[in-house]
Amino acid sequence: MNFPRAASRALSTSGVPIAIALVLVVVIFQIISPVFLTPGSVRDYINNAIPILLLTVGVAIVIVAGGIDLSVGTVAGLSAGTTMWALVSGAPTWTAVLVGVATGLVFGLFNGLMITVFGINDFIVTLATLNIAGGLLIVLTEQVPLQGVTTPGFSDLVYGNFLGVPTGFWIAAVIFALMQFFLIRTVFGRRIFAIGIAPGAANVAGVNVNRVRLGTFVLSGLLAGAAGVLLASRLGAVQAFLGNGYEFIAIAGAVLGGVSLAGGRGSVWAAVAGGLMLATLQQGLRLNGVDPVYFSIVTGLCIVAGVVFDRRIQQLALGSFRKRAKGGPTPPAPVKLQETHLLGTGKQD
Amino acid sequence: MTERPALGADGLLLNVDGISKHYEGVTALDDVGLQVRPAEIHALLGGNGAGKSTLINILSGLTLPDGGTITLSGHQLDLRRASDALGHGINTIHQELSLVPALTTLDNIFLGREVNARFLGMNVKLDRRRMEERVRALAAEFGLSQEDLKLPVGEFGALKKRVVEIVKALAFDTRLLILDEPTSGLEEEERLNLFEHMRRLREKGVSLIWVTHHLEELYGLADSATVFRDGRRVGTVNVSDTTVDDLLGMMFGIAAGEFGSTSSAPALAEVEVESREEVLRLTDVNRSYVLRDISLTVRQGEILGIAGLAGAGRTELARAIMGIDKISSGTVHWNGNPVKFSGSSAAYRKGLAMLPEDRKQLGILPELSVSENISISSLDRVSRLGFVLKSRDEVSQAESYRQRLGIKTADVREKIRNLSGGNQQKAIVARCLNTNPDLLIFDEPTQGIDVSAKVEVHNLIREFVANGGAAIVIASEIGELVELSHRVVIMKKGRLVGSVDNVPHALVSGQFEAVKNRILAMSAGRTES
Repeated sequence: MNFPRAASRALSTSGVPIAIALVLVVVIFQIISPVFLTPGSVRDYINNAIPILLLTVGVAIVIVAGGIDLSVGTVAGLSAGTTMWALVSGAPTWTAVLVGVATGLVFGLFNGLMITVFGINDFIVTLATLNIAGGLLIVLTEQVPLQGVTTPGFSDLVYGNFLGVPTGFWIAAVIFALMQFFLIRTVFGRRIFAIGIAPGAANVAGVNVNRVRLGTFVLSGLLAGAAGVLLASRLGAVQAFLGNGYEFIAIAGAVLGGVSLAGGRGSVWAAVAGGLMLATLQQGLRLNGVDPVYFSIVTGLCIVAGVVFDRRIQQLALGSFRKRAKGGPTPPAPVKLQETHLLGTGKQD
Repeated sequence: MTERPALGADGLLLNVDGISKHYEGVTALDDVGLQVRPAEIHALLGGNGAGKSTLINILSGLTLPDGGTITLSGHQLDLRRASDALGHGINTIHQELSLVPALTTLDNIFLGREVNARFLGMNVKLDRRRMEERVRALAAEFGLSQEDLKLPVGEFGALKKRVVEIVKALAFDTRLLILDEPTSGLEEEERLNLFEHMRRLREKGVSLIWVTHHLEELYGLADSATVFRDGRRVGTVNVSDTTVDDLLGMMFGIAAGEFGSTSSAPALAEVEVESREEVLRLTDVNRSYVLRDISLTVRQGEILGIAGLAGAGRTELARAIMGIDKISSGTVHWNGNPVKFSGSSAAYRKGLAMLPEDRKQLGILPELSVSENISISSLDRVSRLGFVLKSRDEVSQAESYRQRLGIKTADVREKIRNLSGGNQQKAIVARCLNTNPDLLIFDEPTQGIDVSAKVEVHNLIREFVANGGAAIVIASEIGELVELSHRVVIMKKGRLVGSVDNVPHALVSGQFEAVKNRILAMSAGRTES
């Protein structure tokens, strides 16, 4: 296919394809069911989606650095638990918030240190902490009933109102903007991309690979802690299995947003758009009376379709580049794509 | 199995003709040929980057050539994937062993070509008994017992693993066996043992293409040798008619003397190195099995060349100096103070920088732009408080390097993977220079780049030391080393085995060839005459 250069460049920019797709899906749902875009409905489903979007961003940062963090779901659940526990024990709102965020931080640090100091595979370490955090939440809920007490300030974290928009939106928007700035505009963010693209080359170039990797897990932990606080604030009660399975929705959202599982490619906005896409699909199906048991099937199909679509776009963009470099030798572009897409079909030519 | 005529009309088993291969602006093979007779051991020689590996990959169906023909026994082959080569009886034993350590010898031999017991027309299970019957005699011939067939190959030593690969190849109608440095990692006795196996293969009528860096090994074993240099075939000779020196000359282009003419030796000779400040001193540095008792110094304004064959430990030494690999004993002094670099970032902070050998894997960050590749080692120079990046400064910094070093790209914001090899290399040089280092290590700085870029990179190195920097240059091309260096040390098997001081003076007095030959002799491991 022949693509204008500017268009192919824009489409190959991380986040643009998924944003377009998201708008299309919203339009389609609005046509099918006009109640889709009522303020109340939008507020509800975004409110519900925000904690998982925070996890999506955290996981996306780890993935861009070439790693994986499976623990974010249960760590968020446990953070919600410790936040509630602090409130139940009579702590003031801000102490409870700090306890929740600190819980995430501790797990992020633990993950990062096990991976960088002891050299254990990140998949294994975070699989272990997934279970540890999940187990600790069950223990906590058996010791203390994590409900019934809430301070007015605490529920305002999500349900408060500032300039007509719920506070939860503001908090999330500020965190997303900060994270995007951090990833794209700072020295540390640049190093995250470098170690994600080629850790060996980054090391030779003087990047302290382990320190950067540790940093990404700490960030992911902090975001999981923040997600836990918002979960507790929204629910007002924490049950034993809160957060279980969230990690996969978060990873799926990041991948759908074009964050490459092979590392080195992605942005915070793209990951947020990917996460929102999943939330929007669920909401659309729910409003149209589809049985919730079908949600995970749709989510799965959506991930596969999204990744294939993203690959096609990349290839088209590369193809038009190749034509531009006329006379030059053909770059082995398809092979390169193989390397950067773990979720590909693995088929060549 | 299909019937094949024994040989082509020309009496050759394999005839490779006019093969070329280009990678993103780099010529790996340029119109090369290779003729292998039946039942001969044919050595394939050449320095790093000569194109041997590319040709082997083409013959094993792993790489598609840009053009040319491959004829086996008079039949033209179309090798599109590994199975095509195997199907025609071309087997390759790669340097990195391709055995599965956890599987038994027998399962490894039949991996992908298993014999199954059948029931009701379906494969139901592996028929290990029949597989064993098929290879038992062959295995015994190469010293593998019935017990060995049942053991996981992970338990075997390097030699036995190679023997398993040989048996694996022979079990399936092999006519041409390609051995890529089969003696690497083998002890002396094991080598001799392997050579026996190679002779036995020849007696069985199998032809061998043998890649090696150890020229002494050829005598009494190889029949003929083809030498490659810079992607071209230099020539094919009868091993019995040539000396090691002849072959070295062909491999590194000594006879051609192509570097003597452009030498800027007089300029370098003016440098009185001895009086300069010592920048780096290594004392008895060891790294288990890789580096042994290395002691050396590098002074300000000096280029120290490190010569040696592949596997001599040159890159390992560079990595140890940079703190990328840990040293197990010995001391490093930096500007007179003992130091221990915990990692590359510590070394960079102290004023060291390194241009790595493997540009594709360890040099460029392919998905980042040229300007981002230049700034990655010195981000504090283009950021506020070492935190927030100033993109405009980053781009203008890259722009100034683009003009100074002549990096050919339309825009420094272009991804670096879209540049040619030589321009990528210049960008990496820019990256190193931008850290403002006191010592810069160049590991094969001109590998895989064309002649004009080579000259430019050489000039950059000279300019760097002329401005007070110190450099270590590692290069396989001895002529290049002699021309660049003030002093050359020679490594072999992880040790320093000799040195040539005052190289510029020798060049001025017209001893270019003599110096090269001394270095070559020491690298190849013979005593200095």
